[in-house]
Amino acid sequence: MPDSAHDVIVIGGGIAGLSAALHLAERGLKPLVLEADARFIGGRLAGGDEIEVGGWKFRLEHGVHGIWSQYRNFQAMLARHQLRPVFVPSQEELWIYRDENSVRSAPVGTAIRHSIFPAPLHYLHLFLRPSFLFTIDVRDWLKLFHTWSVLVMSLGVDPYAEDQPMEGHMLGEYIGKWSPALRAFFTGLARNGLSTHADQIPLAGFLAFLRFYTTLRRDAWAFSYLPDDGGTSLVEPLAKRVRDLGGDIRIGKRVDRLAGEAPQWTVECGSEFFTTQQIILAVDSAAAEVILGNSFGPNNLYFPRSLSNAIVRLWFDRSPHPGPESGMFTGNFVMHNFFWLERIYVPYRQWHKATGGSAIEVHIYGPDETLAQPDALLLAQVISEFYRAYPELRGHLLYQHLQHNAAVHTLPSLGPSDRHPGIETAWAGLYCAGDWVRDPLPAFFLERACGTGIKAANLVLESRGLAGWPLLKYLPPEPFAGWIEKRMRRGRERIREKRRRI
Amino acid sequence: MLPNLVKLARSDRHLDPRVAIYYVTGQCNLNCIYCEDFGARRNGNNQRPLPLEQVMHILGIIRGGMDALFLTGGEPFTHPDIDSIVLRAKTELQFKELTLITNGSLLHLHEVVLQGLDRLVISLDCTDPLPWSKIIGMPLPTAQTILSNIRKYAALQSKYGYRMIINTVLTPEVLPAAPSLLEFCFENQLLVSFSPQAVNNWPRYELAVSTEYSNFIHELLLLKQKGAPILGSDAYLQTLCAFQPYDCYPALAPRIYPDGDLSYPCRPLEKAGNGQGGRDVNMLHVQDWATAWKLARQTYGQPPRSCHSCFQQCYAEPSLMQAQPLALLHEWLRYPASRETNLSTYTPG
Repeated sequence: MPDSAHDVIVIGGGIAGLSAALHLAERGLKPLVLEADARFIGGRLAGGDEIEVGGWKFRLEHGVHGIWSQYRNFQAMLARHQLRPVFVPSQEELWIYRDENSVRSAPVGTAIRHSIFPAPLHYLHLFLRPSFLFTIDVRDWLKLFHTWSVLVMSLGVDPYAEDQPMEGHMLGEYIGKWSPALRAFFTGLARNGLSTHADQIPLAGFLAFLRFYTTLRRDAWAFSYLPDDGGTSLVEPLAKRVRDLGGDIRIGKRVDRLAGEAPQWTVECGSEFFTTQQIILAVDSAAAEVILGNSFGPNNLYFPRSLSNAIVRLWFDRSPHPGPESGMFTGNFVMHNFFWLERIYVPYRQWHKATGGSAIEVHIYGPDETLAQPDALLLAQVISEFYRAYPELRGHLLYQHLQHNAAVHTLPSLGPSDRHPGIETAWAGLYCAGDWVRDPLPAFFLERACGTGIKAANLVLESRGLAGWPLLKYLPPEPFAGWIEKRMRRGRERIREKRRRI
Repeated sequence: MLPNLVKLARSDRHLDPRVAIYYVTGQCNLNCIYCEDFGARRNGNNQRPLPLEQVMHILGIIRGGMDALFLTGGEPFTHPDIDSIVLRAKTELQFKELTLITNGSLLHLHEVVLQGLDRLVISLDCTDPLPWSKIIGMPLPTAQTILSNIRKYAALQSKYGYRMIINTVLTPEVLPAAPSLLEFCFENQLLVSFSPQAVNNWPRYELAVSTEYSNFIHELLLLKQKGAPILGSDAYLQTLCAFQPYDCYPALAPRIYPDGDLSYPCRPLEKAGNGQGGRDVNMLHVQDWATAWKLARQTYGQPPRSCHSCFQQCYAEPSLMQAQPLALLHEWLRYPASRETNLSTYTPG
């Protein structure tokens, strides 16, 4: 017997789905959210099980920590509902670089976001820092302009807004001639942001990433940390708010397929059936591909890749030397970034205050063969390499934990406009939301999930004659970056015009 | 200002405090809907006001570290000794810049304080008492009294030598009436400052997506450049327009609660209570300001090097002034109205 008491069914209880459901519920609709996970709502922001270390309990999670200044709609949504926690300000980020012979490090984050040079020259501030200069060599100086010119490419092209998929072009092609340290630095940034090796990062995704997070404005790099795991500090209060407003959230409901068409959709979920007029498909890219494939048969649709990763957490009985609370590993390291949890999360702060201990979380963004290693081997490799960067902690390890995250992390890319699903789909009454969805929004990850969720909700509201929710605008480029952007676009238009004439 | 500029030039962002904000009392006779301070009358657990001598001890400690003082609340005029507090702060402690922030409803009962003040800040969101009283949840006669007091004491500015500043919290509800409020201020020779309503340490959504709001802020910038007595640096107003991030230096303007607790390093971090800040240092238990500040730093660490974790416009103005002195100087030279603006003329929320 189908359950049909729902105005709209939102498939997926991550940020995209909860954002959509919240905005629908605020307008008086009664959305039903179906979440596949049997225990935790929230997708990549969900909280997880607790583990015990020395009598103290710590909650596991996917590993999302940063809330960037450009996550404007996400923060506005939380604030409107009094759900925005007091974030932990970021202080500094450390770049740790290991080549064949040595491990060097330099604090880089504040030099970028507080640079004395305007965007897009702001990275030059790094060269005023002695520690950065010690990390690079003469080859980097010789290739400086070459490296910068690729970064400036991101000013000239806005892949999302201009609909430029740049098909077949990967980041790896453009950095082959870069010098070792600068290549390590920027591919490290790309890997931390986009979670895979440069050879697998689509150029369009990389350029859009640069535009959103760094090249247009210095303060785009400003961010804060969640004060606790994503489930506790964000998603669970958000889900409660959806319920308080009349929405329904059910976990452990993995949707198999959709049947019918507007105005009578049926959502098949194991042996359960739900009927509704409208559906918002807010699952990750891989799951969307499966559901749409099951529902409508073989298709030619384009779905951005979903990536897996691994997270290692290490607890020590003492603290490392003072230094930045987070950063990235580049060069010959198996891991790619790190967060000192006792400087970020409340439970870890309390533990640190009581015991003097410290805990680090490191992320490993592939490659697949690394992630496929036996856990013990991977852990041993991480710990061994970690001691190269923090030798003072050798012999002080209390506990270790390795967690494999499923392949749900979107690799941002842009497919052909006729194949890459947007918020509106070819099927009436079926909308998509998520960070993988094709849309001119310049945003990434949480902000993109939230923004597309709101847009999908707006389409539903509009179809019912209800007022939508305007999105906040993103900040414009700094004046110099904006000037370069205009000049480059005008140049591209002229070239196109010439070609047309020829 | 100079030592802090030297620190900024050396990338040392742990700046020295410049102005102190003392909450004379947590009590208030109103219950404005946008007030996030003490919950005013909504909170029945407010402590009794501190005796005069203890307040003076706290102010004495503060004077050891700063020349400028804001007295605020709650509603400062609900403190039984407010007249003495103001006059003694000026005559005995000799604060160079003394500002009182009030809702203005009880001002006529305390005219004597005007002798001690350099600035008097009154909150006013709308010049029509009926809609204003409805919008912020205040009895109509109170709104009428406030407007009457503003008119009366605006006329006495030159007699007593203080400047009256109207502080307006822009909400979507009062925005349509903001132009007439400006007119009112110009007519009565009042300085006026604006701040957007914040919800959950973030600009209210309806303002952030409102073209009417951003147009009004643009209008303020233009009026200011034409000489209108509008407070707020250009940088501040531009920040309010787009709600762009700014480097926040909350330690420039430390806040002290009625019982003497120092809120460190800023109210949001202190109130979060998650180890980043707190109120464990009390002015009644220390010998001097330097000790109090050092103790707070030892307890909670240095203030954040830069913080974009909230959007508290009351910290924005001093932070921007301190960080962009050349922009401020440029304004001073270009528009006479800007010469009224300095680190002591902003209005802490």
